[in-house]
Amino acid sequence: MRVEYINPFVESAFNVLKEVVGSNVERGELFLKSSSQPVLGVAAIVGLAGDVEGRVLFDMTKDTALGVASAMNGESLTSLDELVKATITELANMITAQAVTKLHELGFKFDLTPPALITGENMEVTDTEVEALIVPVQLEQGKIEINVAIRERA
Amino acid sequence: MSTIRQNIKEEEASRIENIDFKMVTFSLAGKEYGIDIMKVKEISKANRFTFVPNSASYVRGVYNLRGDIISVIDLRVMFNLPAPKVAEGVMEDMIILRLDEMLIGVIVDSIDKVVGINSETIQPPHPIFGDINIKFIKGVVENDDRLYLILDVERILGQKGEDPSRGPRPLAAVAPVEEEAYPEDKKLDAEPVTSEAKVDFSFVVETLNTFRHFVVSPLNIAWTEHRFEQWKQERGAAVEAVQLQNAEDADTFLLPFYSDASGHFFPASLKDSYAALFRGLKTDRGQIAVWNPGCGRGYETYSLAAILKELFTDKAVKIWAHDKDLLSISTAPNLIFQKEHVPNYLLPYVVEGKNGLSVGPELKDLILFEYHDILHGNPFPEVDLIVARDLGSFFSRQDQDKLIRIFTEKMRTGGLLVLGKNEVISDPGWETVEQAGLTAYRKKR
Repeated sequence: MRVEYINPFVESAFNVLKEVVGSNVERGELFLKSSSQPVLGVAAIVGLAGDVEGRVLFDMTKDTALGVASAMNGESLTSLDELVKATITELANMITAQAVTKLHELGFKFDLTPPALITGENMEVTDTEVEALIVPVQLEQGKIEINVAIRERA
Repeated sequence: MSTIRQNIKEEEASRIENIDFKMVTFSLAGKEYGIDIMKVKEISKANRFTFVPNSASYVRGVYNLRGDIISVIDLRVMFNLPAPKVAEGVMEDMIILRLDEMLIGVIVDSIDKVVGINSETIQPPHPIFGDINIKFIKGVVENDDRLYLILDVERILGQKGEDPSRGPRPLAAVAPVEEEAYPEDKKLDAEPVTSEAKVDFSFVVETLNTFRHFVVSPLNIAWTEHRFEQWKQERGAAVEAVQLQNAEDADTFLLPFYSDASGHFFPASLKDSYAALFRGLKTDRGQIAVWNPGCGRGYETYSLAAILKELFTDKAVKIWAHDKDLLSISTAPNLIFQKEHVPNYLLPYVVEGKNGLSVGPELKDLILFEYHDILHGNPFPEVDLIVARDLGSFFSRQDQDKLIRIFTEKMRTGGLLVLGKNEVISDPGWETVEQAGLTAYRKKR
């Protein structure tokens, strides 16, 4: 994956989470994962198309999702209802949008799909053609793994 | 509606309903066979399998199925049927089977179609079928005036009912033994050495791995042994002095290992040597595709780009430069350096920025720097040149073998592979090329 793509995602994730969740946000060590990866339980996915193509996945456990949604809404949410789902989707949207703005400034032109939220246990995501960069972000509410798999269009 | 018509309709309907077994049909030596479709993952056309030495005759090699390495078996050879030799570049029909969790590819003469049948019409095989051992046949079925033999692939290829006298099992059992015993064996072959020296040597082998992830293997054993003799003379006879105590010792030991100009631009003399070596690259396409895994901070890649651009003026040069070290690879696209470190041949491509000199777009646009792990899938087209200096020695034995397989797969026939100056491969698929004091490997088939 091109190095230029990486930083915008890391930075915007950091900025947005700090703003909306407010608590301590710590970035873990970045690493690469190959084709098949288990998903933690709640995953918001945003697709990219244009000069580059691929997807960004925001992956967290159900408890983390509830914690983050509670913090963002300022009330205690205990079940994975419409409000929680909409909140996590919005979070994914905010982070990707900010990263994409930065990439636009660098000269890459592409579009986003609206985020989709997927929940369930023991899911896996597979990308045979492109390896994924994992940006682990540690919050008080738990860990979010930002899973970026994008590449130049062939 | 007449009763007859209705009856026919009903009969037809019931026949359609009763299709409960679908099989992929194919031919082997003019006869029709079928395999249960539930066992088939996909069908595809493929060629250029990577040969696996010392495997059974029916094993054609391994194949990279979008990142998964699968074994490929020639069913005709396995059944002692005539297998015509295919010409270079001709695609062969392959059925990819999923048996338990294992994927395996089988080559057949030609794949026909999918046939749906009622499983009740399958008849048990008759002992008279001589061409294939009867225990491998699930049954016989007639469809559309053709007789199909349904193969029991699980029996043929799976773990179930495996015959100890065949199959790749012994290979797997041999490999790890060879791995552990390698350095000592080699030593014994060469000349009698005292057991003490052997212990010292294996200790050095261990510590090199511990401190610097340097793995002693056939790739570098010759250098390591030579260096060890030298090292003993440098350090004196005392056991503690010979052994590597810490990372600094390991670095000192490894210092002569690294290829010339590691982490720097190639000096003019080295540039000329590489240019002489690369002149042997023949391609009739308009592009020279290059892969530079382990490119680090990019000095090597920029040097290569300049050499190739000068050499192949009529062709487009495209370089994929990869590294797993995020910090190094992040600086590579915008590398900043001082004028005194730039050799003359690179000067025309250098531009001045506010922080110092950097490489201009003329060279930069030829290169795609990527953060990438070579052991994952490598989704880019085949290349004419691979430059992987001092890379393989820092992978485990198993991954080194995988690396060579990946190189074989990604390289066009006749392409050149450049390893570190102290690294050698002895693989039947590659021949050695020497030019201007440098060694490279040319892919034979």
